[in-house]
Amino acid sequence: MTATVSPQRHKPSAWERFFKSGREDSPFKRIVIHAVLIACCIIAVYPVLRVFSVSIRPGDRLLSTSLAIIPEDATFEAYRTVLIEKEFPVWLWNSIAITTSTAIVGVILASSSAYAFSRWRFPGRRPSLVFLLSTQMLPAPMMMVPIYILALKLGLTQTYRGLVIAYSITSVPFSIWILKGYYDTIPHELEEAALIDGVSRLSAFWRIILPLSTPALAIVFLFSFMTAWNDYLLARVMIASERSLWTWVLGVRDFQSQFQTQWGLFSAASILVSIPVMALFLYSSKWLISGLTLGSVKG
Amino acid sequence: MEFLTLDVILNSLGEVGSTVLYIFVGTVILEVVVYFLWRPLEVFSRLIGRMLSPLGNAIRHVISTLLLVGVLVFTVASVSVGVEQPPPPWAPYWPLAVVAFLVGAFVSPTAPKIFHWQMRLPYMLFAPALVGLLVLVIYPLLWELNVSFTNLNPRHFKSPDFVGLQNYIEVFTAPVLKQVTFFPVFLRTILWTVINIAFHVTGGMALALLLNRKLRLKGLYRTLLVFPWAIPQPVACLAWRGEFHFEYGFVNIMLQRLGLPAVQWMTSPTWNFAAMCITNIWLGIPFMMVILLGGLQSIAGEYYEAAEIDGASGWQQFWNVTIPLLQPILTPAIILGTVWTFTNFNVPFFINQNELETSDTLVTALFRSAFQYFNLGDAAAFAFVNFGILLVFAILYIRATGGLKGATE
Amino acid sequence: MKRSILTLVALATLIATILAGCCPSPATPEPTEPAAPEPVEIVLWTKEGEADGGLQFVQALADAYTAENPDVTFEIINKDVETLREDFLTAGLAGSMPDLLWTVNDHAGPFTDAELIMPVDDMFDLSKYVGSALAAAELGGQTWGVPISNGNHLMLIYNKDLVETPPANTDELIAMGQELTTGDQYGLVFNQTEPFWLVPWLGGFEGSVFAEDGKTPTLDTAAMVDTLQFLYDIKHTTPIIPAESDYDGADTLFKEGKAAMIINGDWSLGGYKEAMGDKLGVARIPMVSATEEWPRPYTSGVYFMLPEGLEGAKLEAVKGFVEFVTNEENQVKMISELNRLPALESALDAPIIAEDPILKGSADQMVVGTPMPTVSEMRCNWDGMKPEMQAVLADTKSPEDAAAAMQAAAEACITDLE
Repeated sequence: MTATVSPQRHKPSAWERFFKSGREDSPFKRIVIHAVLIACCIIAVYPVLRVFSVSIRPGDRLLSTSLAIIPEDATFEAYRTVLIEKEFPVWLWNSIAITTSTAIVGVILASSSAYAFSRWRFPGRRPSLVFLLSTQMLPAPMMMVPIYILALKLGLTQTYRGLVIAYSITSVPFSIWILKGYYDTIPHELEEAALIDGVSRLSAFWRIILPLSTPALAIVFLFSFMTAWNDYLLARVMIASERSLWTWVLGVRDFQSQFQTQWGLFSAASILVSIPVMALFLYSSKWLISGLTLGSVKG
Repeated sequence: MEFLTLDVILNSLGEVGSTVLYIFVGTVILEVVVYFLWRPLEVFSRLIGRMLSPLGNAIRHVISTLLLVGVLVFTVASVSVGVEQPPPPWAPYWPLAVVAFLVGAFVSPTAPKIFHWQMRLPYMLFAPALVGLLVLVIYPLLWELNVSFTNLNPRHFKSPDFVGLQNYIEVFTAPVLKQVTFFPVFLRTILWTVINIAFHVTGGMALALLLNRKLRLKGLYRTLLVFPWAIPQPVACLAWRGEFHFEYGFVNIMLQRLGLPAVQWMTSPTWNFAAMCITNIWLGIPFMMVILLGGLQSIAGEYYEAAEIDGASGWQQFWNVTIPLLQPILTPAIILGTVWTFTNFNVPFFINQNELETSDTLVTALFRSAFQYFNLGDAAAFAFVNFGILLVFAILYIRATGGLKGATE
Repeated sequence: MKRSILTLVALATLIATILAGCCPSPATPEPTEPAAPEPVEIVLWTKEGEADGGLQFVQALADAYTAENPDVTFEIINKDVETLREDFLTAGLAGSMPDLLWTVNDHAGPFTDAELIMPVDDMFDLSKYVGSALAAAELGGQTWGVPISNGNHLMLIYNKDLVETPPANTDELIAMGQELTTGDQYGLVFNQTEPFWLVPWLGGFEGSVFAEDGKTPTLDTAAMVDTLQFLYDIKHTTPIIPAESDYDGADTLFKEGKAAMIINGDWSLGGYKEAMGDKLGVARIPMVSATEEWPRPYTSGVYFMLPEGLEGAKLEAVKGFVEFVTNEENQVKMISELNRLPALESALDAPIIAEDPILKGSADQMVVGTPMPTVSEMRCNWDGMKPEMQAVLADTKSPEDAAAAMQAAAEACITDLE
């Protein structure tokens, strides 16, 4: 990794200076960075704000010529209706229960499998990795019919069990790939040192590798969570006929009729379901940082 | 709130908790079984190996391959599709297939390598996920494969007929929808994918680089920037469709205030495609950003310091330090991002509610032409063609970037 | 940190397992009336949603029926129209269908193709229902659905503040429209993206999408060219409609008072009544001046369909419920609650229709309507018409080319149905 350049220190261009994360960024650079980030945040959030304004606009008016985020006749009626008169809290709760268990199972399955892929060259490793990728390549709507038939045969329909299993398995391929990638960046020397000390392979995995990969595990948890949280197709196939089990995705379709949609309720529900996700992101962000410990061990 | 009683909460907690526990216990049991099976299997396979070694490796490979292929064909052909179709005449011979599988597995010279004592751990660790995948993915795959060779649709519903490769041929020759044929849609899908991935990766990388430093309000920025990913996709698509609305959408209103003419986002072919891209780019950047940020933070500062001492410029540092070390994460992120964009259904479907044929990607065209008529035979053939294309891409990409290796190899 | 998370998870699963053991699981539905003779649970799939009050109406009817017949309970699942069709076909493939369908007439096409529903001619006395309602569910000489409501038709709805008397023919419509179309306001709005809004005009120009046999598409006709030309004219030549408008756009414009007239269906009447009260007026879509024919919007409605394989106690319960829902009392209730016209002939005489100007206008339009074809081939027609109609409105194709393209597309699609 030695760069063959002249011994004289290279003068970085403005572009390079901007992106390089130096230890001391000049105040000017800081301001520019903040400005760029703020602009990006506005772009990211604005459409969501518009959804919010639909939810506080009375009369199911999806569109409006006024750009005001808060319309003149704003009301929280939609939220009140959704939370109190509809079964929305049940749907939300179902989603939380199903999605959290999915994420837990997903992390369990993926972390162990990814370790196998990362540390051993077993026969069938390459084909298996390609197989994992290829599971993502069949369009999801196609698989729904046979999955329904299969679930019916196994007695997994209209239960939580079937849906949790289906969701966890769906998120496993991506999780394995990402975790394997993270494990690959952890040098083998760590485990070798532990093995010399007489610690078993599995124990090394449990006590050394896992703690070091908390950012990756957090990403896998987030990803499994998000896959299950917003999913419509699998939920529709597995539990559509049991109202008490509906996730919020299925429930929200109640607000639509053949030609009309109760846009107020629909958008209020959409805003409400984003809150747990945002909370999860906020909470998990501290875990996404702890990769800094790697630096002390490398080299 | 009358619906969400304590009863309901406790019940569902119980359901869900027991599910997780069953899965966990099942996983442990499976792994233990695999673990303890390994030694006897190793002994057995070595024995077989010694007995059969006079045959020579080549012959053993051939026999093993033939047997396993036979079992595969048997399995595929046994997955029956029609409701009223009787099970195929060879179905009762499935024990024979199991025996053939076992024989085929152990005859092969690679068997001892698989059942090697040292290999027990990786197989054990992978076993639960593998079993789950086999059940949830293989059966539907085989079903779809079978269907793709039939003419299953409402007119041939309960006992569809076998039509061989006809569906596959039709994929390439017949118009997918009313006028457009396969290749234009295919090329458009490639264009769609390339544009999106390019923006996703550069945008995500840029944001990740900006966030990868000590910064006040970093947590707030990260949370806000992740909004597009947090909002459910259909809702986001609906929101953007609203923004592209001719009369009421934010985009046209802004354009008009800037003195530019309003654009017919929903009816003009080029602009509709642009609208789709804009929406998907907005949706996809946060995901890349999070993945790349995690990767960036796992790169130790020492690497950069060493490079700087060597006199490397910022740009060179980026290409020689950051990218190679990010490789194990960047590769799956790009491959999977490409696959997901290629097969993305929500965005093209919802932004193109007017069903402009010129805006369809392969997947939405497939959906419209097949699913709306419940023409499952055609749809399955189409899906497999799609699958083939993506598989070729993935394999080529992996070869080109050596993506299966770890960073420290 | 790791350890504490682990302990927490272990504790949670432990508690959960104990709870799972103690409390009954809600996920397994059981028949709720053990004491009665033959407890029956009917799984009803309905296309009614909550937005127009439909789902609540179905639920109320089911509850009323259960009150009178305690051994019959209902599990009502609502799905939107496309989902219902797909899910029913999927359920058919898996061999596990619901017990009763409450859905739209054009589902009869694919469901009869797949042989998943039963003809109802022998099970009910169909003579008490309105002829056009029955016609819309007829295929191959048999009737496949029992009508619940009739209509689902488009009509001219106008804002009395802006329009005193509705136009009687298209010349008047254009003249009025031009007066009313200022920068801020439009004379007429409608959903410009769906061919459902094209067919009334096609009827007015004496055209129809099918030939006499009801299966061969006849889209490349002079009538279609005239229709497309008319639509082109009201947008480009004598503009009275917006440049781009889908369903929600038109709906919003009308509700905000920025459109004088809208062509919309009977399902929207409830919402408009609420928003506009007395200012709401309903009339027939204006007569086509060139042909002096009234436009003929499609009428269909909502129907009960019976999945095949129903027998015994379930069949009896289903029959009883169907009769209950379509009896006079409930039909009249439906008129007032959902603003839909009844399928029961005798209910058409109910005073409420004559007294309510809105319903009267709706009934007035319906009599010049034509039953919507229910054959599977109809979908090919819809799919063929849609992009071409939009192309003509977007001025990217001439009406002649568009009509020819429609015909070609529909024919290609129909061969594919085999």
